[in-house]
Amino acid sequence: MAVRAETARLRTVGVREVAVAGIVLGCFAFVLSLPPITARSPWWPALAGIPAIGAGIWATTRGARRLGWFAVSAGILGIALGVLATNASSGHLKSVVSWTPLFATMFVFATPLTFAALGGMFSERSGVVNIGLEGMMLTGAFFAVLGTDKLGNWALGILCAVVAGGLMALIHAFVSIQLRADQIVSGTAINFLALGVTGYFFIQVYGDQGIPGSISQVPSVNIPGANHLGAIGRIFGHLNLMIWFAFAMLILSYIVMFRTPIGLRIRAVGEHPRAADTVGISVYGIRYAAVVVSGMLAALGGAYLSIGYVGSFNENMTAGRGFIGLAALIFGKWRPFGAFAAALLFGFSDALSLRFQQPWPSQAVLFRALPYVLTLIAVAGVIGRSIPPAASGRPYRKQ
Amino acid sequence: MDEGPVLELRGITKQFPGVLANDHIDFDLRDGEVHALLGENGAGKSTLMNIVYGLYSADEGEIVIKGEPVKLSSPHDAIDRGIGMVHQHFMLIPVMTVTENIVLATEPHTAGVLLDYSGARQRVLEISKRFNFAIDPDAKIQNITVGQQQRVEILKALYRNADILILDEPTAVLTPQEATELFAILKDLVAQGLSIIFISHKLNEVLEIADRITVLRRGKRVETVPRAGATEAGLARSMVGREVLLRVDKGPAHPGDRLLQVEDLRVIDDRGLEVVRGVSFDVRAGEIVGIAGVDGNGQTELIDGLAGLHKVASGRVTIGGKELTGASAHIRLDEGLGHIPEDRQRRGLVLEFSLAENIALHDYDKPPFSRWGWLNPRRVIERARQLLREFDVRGGGPQTLAGALSGGNQQKVVVAREVSRNPRVLIAAQPTRGLDVGAIEFVHKRLVAERDGGRAVLLVSLELDEILSLSDRILVIYEGQIVGEFTPDVGEEQLGIAMTGGRRSEAAA
Amino acid sequence: MSEGPRDPELNDEPEILDTEPKPPEPLAADPTAYAPSVAHRLALLQRAGGIVTPLLTAVLAFFMGGVVVAATGHNPWKVYKGIVSGTGLPWFIHFGHHHIDIPFTNHHVFFWWDTSVVNNDAYNLQQMLIIATTLTLTGLAVAFAFRCGLFNIGGQGQYVIGVITGLWVGTNFSGMGHVPHVLFAVVVASLAGALWAAIAGFLKATTGAHEVITTIMLNWIAYWLGSWAFGQGGPLQNSFNPSLPVSNDVVPSAKLWPFWGNPALQALHIGFFVAITALVAFWFTLNRTTLGYEVRAVGFNPEAARYGGISVRKNYIITMAIAGGFAGLAGVMDMLGYQYRFGVLDVQTSNIGFIGIAVALLGRNKAIGVGLSAVLFASLLYGTSTRSLNSDVFPTALASNLTWMIQALVLLFIGADVLILYVWHARQRLVRWIRAQWPESIQPTGTG
Repeated sequence: MAVRAETARLRTVGVREVAVAGIVLGCFAFVLSLPPITARSPWWPALAGIPAIGAGIWATTRGARRLGWFAVSAGILGIALGVLATNASSGHLKSVVSWTPLFATMFVFATPLTFAALGGMFSERSGVVNIGLEGMMLTGAFFAVLGTDKLGNWALGILCAVVAGGLMALIHAFVSIQLRADQIVSGTAINFLALGVTGYFFIQVYGDQGIPGSISQVPSVNIPGANHLGAIGRIFGHLNLMIWFAFAMLILSYIVMFRTPIGLRIRAVGEHPRAADTVGISVYGIRYAAVVVSGMLAALGGAYLSIGYVGSFNENMTAGRGFIGLAALIFGKWRPFGAFAAALLFGFSDALSLRFQQPWPSQAVLFRALPYVLTLIAVAGVIGRSIPPAASGRPYRKQ
Repeated sequence: MDEGPVLELRGITKQFPGVLANDHIDFDLRDGEVHALLGENGAGKSTLMNIVYGLYSADEGEIVIKGEPVKLSSPHDAIDRGIGMVHQHFMLIPVMTVTENIVLATEPHTAGVLLDYSGARQRVLEISKRFNFAIDPDAKIQNITVGQQQRVEILKALYRNADILILDEPTAVLTPQEATELFAILKDLVAQGLSIIFISHKLNEVLEIADRITVLRRGKRVETVPRAGATEAGLARSMVGREVLLRVDKGPAHPGDRLLQVEDLRVIDDRGLEVVRGVSFDVRAGEIVGIAGVDGNGQTELIDGLAGLHKVASGRVTIGGKELTGASAHIRLDEGLGHIPEDRQRRGLVLEFSLAENIALHDYDKPPFSRWGWLNPRRVIERARQLLREFDVRGGGPQTLAGALSGGNQQKVVVAREVSRNPRVLIAAQPTRGLDVGAIEFVHKRLVAERDGGRAVLLVSLELDEILSLSDRILVIYEGQIVGEFTPDVGEEQLGIAMTGGRRSEAAA
Repeated sequence: MSEGPRDPELNDEPEILDTEPKPPEPLAADPTAYAPSVAHRLALLQRAGGIVTPLLTAVLAFFMGGVVVAATGHNPWKVYKGIVSGTGLPWFIHFGHHHIDIPFTNHHVFFWWDTSVVNNDAYNLQQMLIIATTLTLTGLAVAFAFRCGLFNIGGQGQYVIGVITGLWVGTNFSGMGHVPHVLFAVVVASLAGALWAAIAGFLKATTGAHEVITTIMLNWIAYWLGSWAFGQGGPLQNSFNPSLPVSNDVVPSAKLWPFWGNPALQALHIGFFVAITALVAFWFTLNRTTLGYEVRAVGFNPEAARYGGISVRKNYIITMAIAGGFAGLAGVMDMLGYQYRFGVLDVQTSNIGFIGIAVALLGRNKAIGVGLSAVLFASLLYGTSTRSLNSDVFPTALASNLTWMIQALVLLFIGADVLILYVWHARQRLVRWIRAQWPESIQPTGTG
C-alpha cells in the first residue's frame, strides 16, 4: 500500500509544481499593482492572474486537487485585489504598502503569537487542550512588568513571567490531568483567573501611581552595518532581542518535538496514551511537563508584549492574542514551522491593518478578523483539514 | 522439572469492585514452552496477564521470575525483567512509523539528546531479519495490515529483549492465513529460546500451539494439563463447567414471503476499503437465517448497511417489498425493521436515560408517545411498565436509569423494545454477547418465538453454537462475501472450513 | 472455531443494582473509553451530588476569594458585606410603601414588600435583575448546547451579533408601531444569533470541526464585526458625532416597556419576564418535546441516538441555532431594554456571554440552576460595580477583578468534579464509619 502511495506521489510531482507556480503567479498578480511596481492598469493583474487560474484548473484535473484549488483562488484573489489596488490612489497605496516597515512590524506582531502557538503545541501534542493560553500569556505580561519593576532588571522580569506562567499552567495541568476535569472548562477558568489575578494585583500594586515609565525594557538588537544590507538589513537590523529569542525557541521546539526521544514520547502520549503507558512512559509526567512548558512559552509571549514591545501593562492587555496563537497552531496543523508561518501571516495582516488605519480606518478593523476567518476555513477542511492529535482533550485514567 | 520455571505465579488474587477477577491463581511457565491460558471471556485471563505485565497490581500473591521474587508496579518493571506483551487491542500509534513505534521509550540517542532514527531503523531491521519478519520499518502503522501490526507488536517486545512473551487473544483479529503465519512465527520464537504465554478461548488453536494448557473459570484455576491427552471436549467442560452445547426447542420453520432482500450489497468502510463485497441473500417470513463468520469479516458493516447506519456503496436492500437502499435509519425503522445491535451499551441504550425513555428510542416521535412534537411522558412510562413486566426485566422500574441494570436485563430491555414494535424483519447482532445462561436462554426463546410469529429473523453471531442451534439456514461470510449456504444439520467442521475461507469455490456452488 | 464464550460474571448472582463503577475494561482500544463525555459526567454528577455540589462549589470559590482579599490587606467580611448590601437583595427584608405597579398601566396594587424606587435597595435590585436577565439568557445559550453534548464557548459572539442586528432594527424603522417594532427587532436579533451559532453547528455536523474552536473563532469575528459596525465610518455609527465610535440610540418605538422603577434611572424592563419565559421554554423543550428528547439522546450518546433513528447532524445544527437564539435574544434585550446604544468600547469590554459559561456550569445546565446562578452572578457583578459598591469599603477596580477570580474558581471546582465528588463520598464514608463505631448513639437520632 505504501508503495502505491509512493508512486502516486511521484506521478503528481510535475502537477504539484505547476500548481505551486500558479499560486506564485496569483500572488504576483496582486504584487504587480503594489509599490514599488505600482502597475496602474487593471490588465496587468489580469495578465498574471489568468494563467494562475489556468494552472490551478489544470492541476486539479491532474490529481493535485488541494494545491490546484489554492492556485485557482490565488489567481482570482490576485486579480480582484490587484484591480482594487489599481483603483486606489497611488498615494494611499504608497503609505500602506511600504514593504520594509510592513515586514518589520509583521515580526513584531507575530512574536507573541509564535510564543503562544509553540506553547500550545507542547500542550496539545501531549493530549491536553489548552484554551488557557490567553490567560497564561496575560499572566506572563503582568509578572514580567512586576518582576522588572521590583527586581530592577528585565532578565529577572522575564524569569518572573516564566515562573508565573508555569504556575498558571500547573493549575490547568492539575485540574485537567490529575482530576481529569474537562479541559475546556479548566482552560476557560484559567483565562478568567488570569484576568482576575493580574487585574487585581495590578490595581493593588499600581492602582494609585501607575507603572513607572522608567522600567527597564528588553533591548533591541542593533546589528552593526545592517543598514547597508538593503531591505533585509532594514527589516532584521533592529529587531527586539525577544524576537530573536522567539526564532531560537521555534527551532528548539522543532528539534525537541521531532528530533528527540522526548518529543517522540510527547507525541505518543498525545496520540495513544495507553500505548505509551504500556511501554513504561509516564503519561501523567509527560503531560504535566508539556502543559507547564506551554504555560512558560505563552508567558514569554506575554512578557514580550509588556516589557519588550509596549514597556508597560494594562488590564487585559493581551486582548485575544493567546487565541490567535491557538488559531495559528491549528492553522499550522500542530507543527512548529506551520504554526510560525501562520503566525507570520496573522502578524502581517495585523501590520497591514495598522497601516490601513490612515487612509481607510473602517476597513482596517475588518482586516483584523482575517486570522479567525482563515482558521475557521482551515478547521472546516475546505483547504486541507487540520486534524488534532488523536487523544487531545481526553483525560487519561491510569489502570 | 529439570530447571525452575522462568515465571511462576503463586496465589495471585485480584479484586475489582463487585468482581473477584483472580482468586488465588497458581501458574508457571517453563523455559521454551508455549503455555496456553484458556478460559471464557471474563474468566480472568487478561487480568492475570496484566498483573504479570505490571499494569495492575495484585491484591495478594507472589510473582517469581527466574527464581527471584519480584514486585512489578509498572510495565517498565516487567519490561526490565524480560516480559513482553502483545495486547488484544494493539498498543500502536497509527500516525507513527513502525520504527518509531518499536523504539518508543527505549530510543537510541546520538549526541546525547537527539533521537537516532537511522540507528533505530537499523536495529529494527536486524531483529526482523533474525526472526524472519518481513516488515517495512518506515511504513506508518495506519498503512499496514492487521497481521503486520501484530508483528510490529511482537517486534516491540523482542526489541526490548523480552524472553517471556504474552499474547492476549492474538488470533481474534486475524484472518486464518494470518493466524497460520502467526503460529509459524511463534514456533520460530520458541526455537530461539523464548517462552510464550498464549491467551485464548479457542480450543482448536490452543491444542495446535500449546505445550501445556491452564484452564481458568470465573477467576479460578481449574486445571493445568499437557497437550498430549487433552481433548476438545474435556477442555470445553472444564472451561465452561457444564455441557457446552445449548439446544433450543423449536419446531420446523414455515418460510413465507421474502421480507428482507439483499442484492449485491457493497459497503466501503471509513478507511476506504470495501469490506462488504457484493452480498446477496434474502430472509423469508418465519425463518431464522444465521450469518456465521470470524470476527471482522464484514459483519458489522453489513448490519450497519442494512440498518441505514452506514452508507451503502452499491446494491439494493428491500424490506417488506419496499426498496430502502438509500433510506435513513429512521425510515427503515418505520418500515418494519427491528435491530438488536451488537453493542447494547454503546449503541442499544442511552445509559443515562431512564428505561422508559430507552423504550421510546425509536417511536418517541409518534403517537402515543408524542403528538405534534409534544412528548407524553405518562404514556411512555405506562408502555414501559407494561413491557418490563412482559419481558421480565428485573432490577428497576420505568424511571430507573438504564445504566443501573445488569447486562442481561439491559439486553432484555433492548429486545423488548425491538420486538414490541412488531417489526417485519428483525436483525439480531450478537444478541447474547456477555450474557449469563438464563438471559441467553430467554433471548433464544424469544427469537424463535418471533420467527414463529411470522417475522424474518437475521441472526449474526460469532458463536457457532448459537448459529447452529437457532438458524433454519446458515450463510457463511468470509472477507465480505457470502461463501456458502448450509442447513443447520451441517457439521461444525464443515462450517469452520467455510468460515476460514477453505474450499471457497465448492462451498459457493 | 470453538463454541461461544459466555460471560459467567453474572451467573447465579443477584442483579447488580447499584451504580458502583464497573471493573475497568482490560485495555480498551477505543480512546473514547478513556473518559466519559462531558454530558455523561454531568449526568453522573447530577445523580451523585444534586444541589450539594454546586452549593459547595460556590461556597468554596467565595471562601478562596475571601482569602485573596484578606491576604492583600482588606477585611473579607466587610468586603462581602459591602458587596451583598449593594446587590439589592436586602430589599426582600424591607417594609414600606406597599404597592407595585401593574405593567403597561398607571395603576398599582397592594404588595407586601416596599417597592418604592426612592429606596436604594429597590433600585439596586432592579439593576441586579436587569443583569440577571441577560445572564439567564446567555447562560441558557451555553446550557442548551451542553445538553446536546456541545460546548458553546461562542455565547459572547452570538450576543454581539444580537446586539448589532438588534440595534440595526432598533435604531431604524422609526415609523413602525411599538409592538411590531419591538417584535421585529427581537425576531431579527434572535435569528441572527441563531444563524451565527448555527455556523459552528453546521461545521461540526458536516466536517466534524470541533465546536469549541469554531465558536472561539466566531467570537472574534463578531468582535471585529462589532468594532467595525460601530466604529468610525462603520454602518451603524451614530449620525451626530463622526468622531464618536458609538451607535445611535434606539428609537422610542423599539424600546422595551419598563415595569418597575424610574425609567429615567434604568428601570427593570419586561425582558425580565422574557428571561423567565425562556427558562420555562428551556425546560419544556428539553423534557416535554420530541426535539428535547433528541437533543438529550444525542448529548448522552450520539451513537445510540443515531441507531435510534435520530439525525445527529440535524440536532447539532438545531441545537447550536437555539443556543445562539438565546444569546442573540440576550443582546437585543440589553439594547432595547436599558442600554439603547452600543459602542466599540462596549464591544471590546463586554463579557456577559463568557460569564454565561460559568452560569450554565454552576447551574448544572438545568433551568432552575441557570436561573439561580444567573442571580448569583448578577449579584456579584452588580454588587462589585462602581454604582453600588462604596469604594471606601473596597476599591471597585479590585472588586471587579475579584469577580473574575471567583468565577474562575467556580469553573475550576466544577471542572474538578472528581474532587468534589470525592469530598462528598468521603463525607458519606465518614458518616458510615461513625455509625459503625458508635451504632447505638448515632443511629436513633438520625443525624449524619
